[in-house]
Formats: sequence, C-alpha cells, structure tokens
Amino acid sequence: MKKTWLVGVLVVIMIGVVAAGLALVYFLPLDLRERSPLQPIDFSHKLHAGTNAIPCLFCHRSATRSPVAGIPAVADCRACHQFISPDAPEIRKLMGYWDRREPIPWVRGHALPDFVYFPHMMHIRAKLACSTCHGEVAAMERVTRTASLKMGWCLGCHRQHKASIDCWTCHI
Amino acid sequence: MEKITSPYKWGMVIDLDRCTGCGACVVACQAENNVAICAKKEINEGRNMHWLRIERFWVGEYPDVRGRFLPVLCQHCHDAPCEPVCPVYASYHNPDGLNGQVYNRCVGTRYCGNNCPYAVRVFNFYDHEHAWPKPLDNQLSPDITVRSRGVMEKCTFCIQRIRRAKEEAKGEGRLIRDGEVQPACAQTCPSEALVFGNMADPASRAARLARSPRRFRLLEHLGTHPSVYYLKGGGREHV
Repeated sequence: MKKTWLVGVLVVIMIGVVAAGLALVYFLPLDLRERSPLQPIDFSHKLHAGTNAIPCLFCHRSATRSPVAGIPAVADCRACHQFISPDAPEIRKLMGYWDRREPIPWVRGHALPDFVYFPHMMHIRAKLACSTCHGEVAAMERVTRTASLKMGWCLGCHRQHKASIDCWTCHI
Repeated sequence: MEKITSPYKWGMVIDLDRCTGCGACVVACQAENNVAICAKKEINEGRNMHWLRIERFWVGEYPDVRGRFLPVLCQHCHDAPCEPVCPVYASYHNPDGLNGQVYNRCVGTRYCGNNCPYAVRVFNFYDHEHAWPKPLDNQLSPDITVRSRGVMEKCTFCIQRIRRAKEEAKGEGRLIRDGEVQPACAQTCPSEALVFGNMADPASRAARLARSPRRFRLLEHLGTHPSVYYLKGGGREHV
C-alpha cells in the first residue's frame, strides 16, 4: 500500500520535471547553434578588416550584385599571400589547399534555413552597413555571430525602414 | 496597421486554341520549382506532385475525334477558397494579388487542398529527399525552398523570378516592364499559348488579351475570381 503511494508521487514528480523542461525550452531564448565555429584556417578578420582596413566588399565582392556575399576563391587569397608573409604557418596551410586544388572547408557561422531567401544586394543597396547584421567583424579574431538571425529580428528592421513585410518577400 | 498596396496584379492568359498539349510547360514547371519527382508507388496512390497539369478531353464522334487540352495551374483567385480555411495563415493573399503559400508556416492540415475547386494544390506525403537522386540534385534551384514532408505546395507564378525582376527594377528605380518577367511555363510554351503579365496595367499584353470576347475563367460560377483567363472559340474551334 505504501509502495504504490510512493510510485504515484514519483510519477507526478517525473511528469513535473518533463513539463518544466519543456516550458524552459519554450520560454528561454535557447540558441544551441554554434556562434563562433572553429575554422580550418585561423583567419583573422581583425588583422585583415581591422588593422589593414581592407573593405568587406574587396573579398566578399558578390554582395553588391548577388543574393550571396560569397567567399573569396583560394586564388584570391593566394594572389596577395604569395608576397605577404608566405612563410607563416597558417599561410602554408592555405597554400596547401591551393596545391591540392581543394576549396577551403570554411564553416558557416551565419546560416539561414532553406526557406529563407536573403538577398545581400538589396540590403547593400539600402545602404545598410555590413556590421548591422554581422557585428563588428573588424574587431573579431574569429567571426562570431552577434545577431539572433530570427524572424522577429528581421521584421523589426524591415518595419523600421518601411521595407516589405509581405511573407513572400523572404519565404519563397 | 496600414494596408500594403502594390502596383502589380499578376495574371495569366491561356489561349486554348493555341495549346497543343505538348506538356512542355509541365516539364518546365517541374524543373524550375524543385517539384519532387514521384515514385511509381506514390503515383499509384494518387499522390503525384504537379503544380501544373494538362487536362485532356476527347470531343466529337468517331472518326472525327479531337483532343482538347486544358492547362490547369493555380488560378490565384482573388476570393480564394484555400485562404480562409488555413488555421495557421500559411495560405494568404499577397499584395500583388497572388495566393501565397508559406512553407515554413504550413502544418499540413490539407484543408486548403481539399477546399480548392481546381485541385491544384499538392501535398508532400513523403519525404522527397530521395526524389533527386544524384546527379539530379544539382539541378535544384537555390532560390526556392526544397519542401519537406507534410507541407502543402502550389504554383507561385514563379515568385523567385518575380522577386528577381523586382530587385532589378528597384535598382533602376522603375516598375517591372511588361514582358520582363514570365514564369517557366509561359517561357517554355512553343506556341505562346500562355501569356503572363500585370493585370493592373491595362496596356500590358496579358491585360489586353484578357479583354478578348473569347475569354472565360474556370468554374466562374463559384465566384472565386481567378487571375487566370482562358481564351477559346471565336469561330476557330473545329469540333
């Protein structure tokens, strides 16, 4: 008799724990995606964009005319680094990719789901700074995502700038 | 909230006297819009995926029998039966007069498909990850979503092309010109039976054709006010 009572209490506690866990997942802004993924090459945006003040669009040049900003080709990296510190260990890694004719497997930090259409060129055309969404990349050693990239965050800006908030603008 | 207005009301005119039923539009649509390729089993169950189909009718008595073809796509109704039945507003009316379908909002109740009198909405009954065996997956368009299982989908008048044309037009500070944008079906049609255009512009080719006395709309008596006009007759039907 006593044991059945104990089992009942345990079951109630377990249900409570599960419900509390689900409630936490629902209410807390849990974002389990990696914000600052480890990259195959220790590329420093701080050195390139910060210290050397190379504009973002020098390397990510498709951003002005295409939906994707693009990553520069290994040939572009090599063009400079044939002459600029070619003996540094990270540059040797880069040249290794060039010699093996492999693309560098960069890890994407700002990934959007498949059902989101985000045109970079429209946002550049609207004179938005890259740092509005990407944060102060020029001060980052390794790129870290600062924005949530959630729909509410997009809409806040779209409303403020009187941009289209029709569903089919982004979800096509 | 202020109402969103638009200078566009997209529409299409389909000249049935020009349609030869070749099916090029069906193939073009399938290739353009990442429409899943269905297995034999799925088609046997009546769960095939097409955003655009060609209905075939036989008219006349033997030996004078003729085939009549009717391309049926989403009619983008102005009073669409699919819209009010969606419990999550995944099916909605766009300011450009299109019936939108927001895949990430859709929970798969299939009410919209059941309420559509034209039966042009198709449901992803299966996970179609396997629908594009290598190297077919290379032809998937990156501009639009690859729909997952449990999501309703339908013709969008190739919204990705409309978006791209709008982006170009906005860059040049103008409106989209007539004929600048056309869906894959209209582009492919060898006899130019399908004409796409802005119905809000009375001078556009589609709007002029839509004023033809040969026009009719599918199931007009239902009062759905479709954006797709059909042309037929005018003394040129032989049977």
